[in-house]
Amino acid sequence: MFPRAPVSLCSRASQHGGEEAFVIDDEAGAPLGPVAGIDGFLLGCLVDAVTGMVVASRSDHDDINLPAAAAAAMDIAQALSLLATELPTDGLEDVLVTFRDQLYVTRLINTDAEPQLLLVVLLDRGQANLAMARREVRAFCAGYAG
Amino acid sequence: MSDTPRPARARRLTAPVMPGRDTDYRDPAAARLHKIAAERRTGRLPFAGSDGGAIYVQDGKVVYAESRRTPGPGATAALARSATGEQAGIPPGYPLLQARSVTEILAVAEPTVDAALELMSGESRPSRFRPASGPAAGRAPGISVAALLAEVARRQRLLGQMATVLTADTAIVRSPHLPHRSIRVSARQWALLIRVQDGSTPRDLAWALSRSVFSMTAEVYRLLTMRLVAVDHGPRRKTEPDEAPARLAALSFIRAVSVEKGDTMPLRTPGAGSGIDR
Repeated sequence: MFPRAPVSLCSRASQHGGEEAFVIDDEAGAPLGPVAGIDGFLLGCLVDAVTGMVVASRSDHDDINLPAAAAAAMDIAQALSLLATELPTDGLEDVLVTFRDQLYVTRLINTDAEPQLLLVVLLDRGQANLAMARREVRAFCAGYAG
Repeated sequence: MSDTPRPARARRLTAPVMPGRDTDYRDPAAARLHKIAAERRTGRLPFAGSDGGAIYVQDGKVVYAESRRTPGPGATAALARSATGEQAGIPPGYPLLQARSVTEILAVAEPTVDAALELMSGESRPSRFRPASGPAAGRAPGISVAALLAEVARRQRLLGQMATVLTADTAIVRSPHLPHRSIRVSARQWALLIRVQDGSTPRDLAWALSRSVFSMTAEVYRLLTMRLVAVDHGPRRKTEPDEAPARLAALSFIRAVSVEKGDTMPLRTPGAGSGIDR
């Protein structure tokens, strides 16, 4: 289990679009600290899977558009969830998107518990190993304690 | 002749004496909050009217908001506290101060943003800011005014996408004919579905489930796209069971944040952005 750390509310200005992402973040880097240790880490955030509100984020790069990354994850997860209702599957687990220079991993935390959160992780494709990253994201979500 | 548009020139000329953003002057509540934040004040900004409420601020940051038309954080915060084994009470007016985990903070932050959305979108207007002393001890984490207004604006854009079909006060019914033999829904969607009665609205369901009105509206819209519920058009339309409901477009979250810099959406979209039928 990952330790539960004190967190505080703060805001982080996005350099894109002039919008501030509404985030609950902790000053020491937890609770997304374990995710930040993944090779090639660029951005990690927790998004409320119902409202799309960013509730925690951690980024090593200020030039990444956090609101857009979170919103895109919501749209992708929502579209695939709708697809899942049409197919004989047992629900969405995670989504892996490969860009030429980045990897984009989205995974649903707390499938049936409240609140439902999406973990979104952006990685530098040149430094990251997709299989290892997915394994670490899965471990984080399994041990996530709110 | 200057290439700069006249409103931009006017804004530049008045900036030294009228600090804030362009939208502030279309929205007095936003202007008031920006001023309170700039002066790092502590107290309560009441909103007058039958659907009013208040936004609580400490050191220029929003720590709590309440509206008469949205469920408060009481129930969800209590659930979060009991889930973490905490027995200590939350000081009224400043519940964010005691929160420690993401789940706990979200349990208070979500109703706070929901109330702010209602106050900023409705007809109520802010009245005089009343200074008040802050909590006796402890550091006060809070939501910056800019972040809160950005989140409110994002939600207003999403409500605008839904408004042609659904608002928080649109009556819905369960679909009599399921489109699939089996369908998977989340626990929250199931809890919502079993409480839908003829004429229920997303706001009714939010109060019944102690959830935010915005989250219930978004969730009901998803159920509409899955054709598990339908908008209640009254008895005349209910006599047409074979009528195939139209397939709705899914909500676009990326469209709600991809507004270019300076292209601010109106904070008060009459009838639509507010999610309120008037």
